[in-house]
Amino acid sequence: MNDSVIQVENLVKYYDGRCVLDGIDLAVPRGCIYGLLGRNGAGKTTIIRILLGLEPATRGRTLLLDADSASLPAKTRSRIGCVAEGHNLIQNYKVGRLITLCKDLSLQWSDDSFNHLIQTFRLPTDRRVRDLSMGMRAQLNLSLAMAIDPELLILDDPTLGLDTVARRQFLELAIEVIQKQGRTILFCSHILSDVERIADRIGILAAGKLVVDCPLEQLKDRVKKMRVIFPEAAPANLYLTEIVNQQTQGREMVITVANWNKQKQTILETFMPSSCTEIPMSLEDIFIECTRPSTEPLQVA
Amino acid sequence: MLALIKREIQDHIVYFIGAIVASALLVVVLVEEVFNYDSRNPAVGTTSLGVVLSGIVALGICGMGAAQMYMDKTRRISAFISTLAVSRSRILLARIVAGIVVILILLVPLAVTASILVRIFTPPIPLYSDMIFEIFTATFLLALGGYSIGLQTGWNSSAVTPTLGGLGLTCIFVPLVVVKGFGPEIMVILALFIGASLLRTWHKFSSTSL
Repeated sequence: MNDSVIQVENLVKYYDGRCVLDGIDLAVPRGCIYGLLGRNGAGKTTIIRILLGLEPATRGRTLLLDADSASLPAKTRSRIGCVAEGHNLIQNYKVGRLITLCKDLSLQWSDDSFNHLIQTFRLPTDRRVRDLSMGMRAQLNLSLAMAIDPELLILDDPTLGLDTVARRQFLELAIEVIQKQGRTILFCSHILSDVERIADRIGILAAGKLVVDCPLEQLKDRVKKMRVIFPEAAPANLYLTEIVNQQTQGREMVITVANWNKQKQTILETFMPSSCTEIPMSLEDIFIECTRPSTEPLQVA
Repeated sequence: MLALIKREIQDHIVYFIGAIVASALLVVVLVEEVFNYDSRNPAVGTTSLGVVLSGIVALGICGMGAAQMYMDKTRRISAFISTLAVSRSRILLARIVAGIVVILILLVPLAVTASILVRIFTPPIPLYSDMIFEIFTATFLLALGGYSIGLQTGWNSSAVTPTLGGLGLTCIFVPLVVVKGFGPEIMVILALFIGASLLRTWHKFSSTSL
């Protein structure tokens, strides 16, 4: 049995002749909270839909809990909780009926856990799903996903439409899930502060490729932004590889470099700068640098 | 599986009520036809009843199949359900079972009434009971054929060719039964058609994106 809960091997997906995913390789280990990031249209939802067997892949193989995701058996599905983008619940159903359906179709259902969530979110069961606000739909979707006590939780932009309090509640819930031994979360979001708060491994999609796939701390360690001041005018070329961004103004140069290491530091020191200070980068800063459209996608892994 | 069948029935309850009403009406028409039997012109009433019955059954059931698949596609029902502990094959199987239940609701009371009437009004020879069996088996298969066309048409509603093709096939099958009559040949043709049609629907349903 493999220790990776999610395995993606050379995944390729074309839509109308346009390449959306170009040879993605990904492995999410058990117990990991994996934050999958990317700009709009980068292919995050497509990966998740292929993983859940909702979309056929053009090429490649995807495995969830050691089962081929194109033909996931019901038993494996029962161990996976899912919150889809846009919360595609059955809109014309009343909330109560949707809950009964999900309960009837699940192999393991915890009434205690579900009722606790419903009460926490104060969700009405007598209204139709389409009459709920976006935030309430998100909460309902999340409650349904959590009620089965999933071994793997796949969340595609789950906090979309949630207010600050509900978002905080959701993050605490996610942390609660991960604290149970062996639980894994694949998490897509545009709210990078949320991802930074809970994810322990990050993947960034850009131009159909997974340009970053490493632990969050390692990512912060590897992508460096520095303000370098030279005694005279800043040199035109630093002869450093993998420069993500470079801005020069007189003696001052601000550079962002991927895969920072001692060798690169030594090269920089040969220019004998007067000062070299590191500018702290948040995940959002790193994300912006890595997905900058003007630069070639960089591999940080 | 039962939960899926229950969901299909609840979502398409109008077809089940329609089948009960249509079945009751057809039973009344059949009884009245038998009691007002005109021995000087026997063929007209029976033939017209057969044509009306076949037409209603095939088109109504075809409509139900199309509605089931179309609603599923537009409301993205399977896209949600298949994220639960359910496979796509089971969703389709539950849908087909619901369709068969509607056909049976429509035909079984009619078949039972016809059998009783045949026992009352005809001599006790196997010819008549065999005829009733053949008529209702062929009508059941015709309805199932119409239903499978409906399933395909509903799923491919955005494409013109399968939609028109489905309607065309329905138009071919009803006259075929009228011309050829209810016999073993038509049953074999219908059974083959249903098998191929359901296989195609299953392939399309389980391989396309939801």
